Amino acid sequence: MKDFFGALSDFWKEFKKEKTGLIGLGIVIVSLLIIIFEPLLLPWKDTNTKWRNIDYWQDNTPSAPPVWTNWFTPTKATPTSRIDEYAHEIHDDEAGFVSETYTFTYHYDTDSSPQDIIFHMMGNGTFPLVCEIVRPDGNTIPFAQIYEEGLFDQDIRLSLNNDGKDAAFELLKQYVSEEVVEQLSSRSIQSTSIFFGALSDKSLEAFAPLKGTYQFKITMYRTDEESSIKAPYVIVTGDVSGLLGTDSEKRDLFSGLLAGLKWALAIGIVTSAISVLIGVMYGIISAYFGGWVDTAMQFIYQVFNSIPVLPVLIVSSAIFKPNIYTLIGVMVFFFWTGSVMTVRSMALQIKEETYIEAARALGAGHRRIIFKHMVPLLIPYSFASMALSVPSAIVYESSVSLLGLGDATIVTWGQILHDAIQAGAILKGIWWWVLPPGLLISIMGMSFAFLGFSMDKILHPKLKTR
Amino acid sequence: MYKWFALKRIGKGVITYVIIMFILSALFNTVVDNTMRASIEEQVRAESVRLKNLQPEALQNFQQQRREALISLYRLDRPMLERIMFRTWNTITFNFGKSTSIRSSRGDREVLTIVGEAIPRTVLLFTVAAFFEIVVGIILGLKKAQKPGGFIDRSSSFITMIVYGMPTFWLAMILIMFFVYQLKLFPSGGIHSIPTPQGIMYFIDMLWHMALPMLTLVLIGFWGIAFVVRNIVLGILQDDYIMAARARGIPEQSVLFKHTLRTAAPPLITMSILSLLSSISGAIIFEGIFSWPGLGNLYWIAVQQNDIPVLMANLAITVGLYQIGLILLDLTYGFMDPRIKVGGK
Repeated sequence: MKDFFGALSDFWKEFKKEKTGLIGLGIVIVSLLIIIFEPLLLPWKDTNTKWRNIDYWQDNTPSAPPVWTNWFTPTKATPTSRIDEYAHEIHDDEAGFVSETYTFTYHYDTDSSPQDIIFHMMGNGTFPLVCEIVRPDGNTIPFAQIYEEGLFDQDIRLSLNNDGKDAAFELLKQYVSEEVVEQLSSRSIQSTSIFFGALSDKSLEAFAPLKGTYQFKITMYRTDEESSIKAPYVIVTGDVSGLLGTDSEKRDLFSGLLAGLKWALAIGIVTSAISVLIGVMYGIISAYFGGWVDTAMQFIYQVFNSIPVLPVLIVSSAIFKPNIYTLIGVMVFFFWTGSVMTVRSMALQIKEETYIEAARALGAGHRRIIFKHMVPLLIPYSFASMALSVPSAIVYESSVSLLGLGDATIVTWGQILHDAIQAGAILKGIWWWVLPPGLLISIMGMSFAFLGFSMDKILHPKLKTR
Repeated sequence: MYKWFALKRIGKGVITYVIIMFILSALFNTVVDNTMRASIEEQVRAESVRLKNLQPEALQNFQQQRREALISLYRLDRPMLERIMFRTWNTITFNFGKSTSIRSSRGDREVLTIVGEAIPRTVLLFTVAAFFEIVVGIILGLKKAQKPGGFIDRSSSFITMIVYGMPTFWLAMILIMFFVYQLKLFPSGGIHSIPTPQGIMYFIDMLWHMALPMLTLVLIGFWGIAFVVRNIVLGILQDDYIMAARARGIPEQSVLFKHTLRTAAPPLITMSILSLLSSISGAIIFEGIFSWPGLGNLYWIAVQQNDIPVLMANLAITVGLYQIGLILLDLTYGFMDPRIKVGGK
């Protein structure tokens, strides 16, 4: 054991000199930290379970670019945001009616109006509900008056765009001349561009944005003790959204990619660790026993080695529709051959060392010789080979997912790319959907390549210089 | 001598192929059974539609008889081991049957024709790409080996590690997005324009369609080759006869290209064939992104249309091609390096 730690600290001393190796190690550690803190970092907390649930993503804009694209454009688009803070007032008028008002404040200072304003709350009981919008010019416009009946903790969703069309049309009439109004109908206008525009008697397109502080008010009139609303919040749906935009299904891509990180890492590390362990043991046993055992094992190895992995993986995934664990199993089934040959030739050399002979003379069993005297010498090599086979495991999984054969209960980067191809993201130029997943696959592969090549270099010093 | 070595290697390759096909037939036995039953039902229905003037009972009798005849023809009533053996035999004799939905360019449903149409296109694309990869890779590798630890060596090794885990299909997507839809330099996919031009334009049109897929393969491929070339050449440069050649005043270019490259030839050829094989088996689905109508695109379509016979035949052919490549590898290796033919007598 002491030897092992001594060897490890020697190795670390060498490894510290390899800059690329340190970068690789750094990226892997950072990814592990990100995975540990994933629940805190995820902007959409239920991404892992509700990635394919359309309702969960309904308030987003489809195919919205990332928020930071605003830095590079002359006109600033509204980012999607969620307002949770509100002022709560209870009015008690003389007739004994009790009304509750929730007021949300929103600072509007971008150049294009939001796509939509969506009000969410949990309703209980029976009550009339009034939603109002207060513009910076002091104009208060009630845009929805509805009567909810017999609710039992149900979600109420009101959209300014859909439920506020008539109110927007009324507002428009106050400013715009008769002729313009005649050409319009309340269905054809976009309410938000009117509510957030500096209205004047011009054509519709010419409205400048009316910047300033807006207030959204939800007023609920209590009819009895039971009726109440809980947890109200407002979502401002904008043209840009999140750190990495949204896809055509309105899903937040940053959340998806973050949720995919742990799967990429798990697939890569588990597959390569198990298959390298099997391969190393296989090579050692084959070399150690020699004779017909070696011949038989080499034949099996050669059969496996002459199977092209990806095509078999595709066909078996198409036929068996595996989940992620069976997919890892299938990959291990074909990947273990990778390290056999090198290990076998190394083990053949070790086998002839005098201390092995001495151990045998002292009466050590096969197991003792293999595990005590041979395996420890091959551990460094197997770590390098593990690191080097991680990228191909990740790429193979994403290739299978790209064909739409991935595990549908999880989110992986390959699946996001599959969705992107299906939705024609390449043709439409939705780069924020195509670039990041592949970039992440490449970075993961790169960091393990950094690790593996650095270890390899330390173990084969001959290649360092002439 | 070499004849025996070659025969032995080919025989071993054939045996390996049969074993792999047996394993795969056993693995996919149930699914193939079901597809066959479905296609028998379809055939019986098609045949009974043709017989119009028949009593319902007679019709049922006829259907029953046909069904049984076909089931025994395809040996679906036999024990499992025999079914697997039968299917293995069918596969190695290239008797793949008919597809369920995919059609060849002439419109027939013979699986062998469909796969046969795809093979040359895949081989064309990947061999031409591999040729360029190897040329660029060897040049860069020699440059790297000349000054190990120098700027070229270090920077290109760095890039090698960056592209090590980069998925080919993703680079393809990015290049399409940039070159096809932004710059509009290349067509978005396929192998020919429609309508297909004639004469010399036919080849120019095909080259134009091939350019971007090839560029993608080469951009990903040559780094790894350069890295291996560097290591092989570096080992050779340490040999005494190289030092002797240098001492005799032979120019460095000549030392590199005549002395070193000749010794490095066998491992370089191995590596070239291996890289061709690995790119055919590893980058094959990237054809789907370019709609390059080869084997990879066929996988893509067969998966989407759930066409099991085509999928199985495609797999059998890919494994076969891979096997042929491995045999060629050993044969050329044995030819180039007489020491390999040990035990050939």
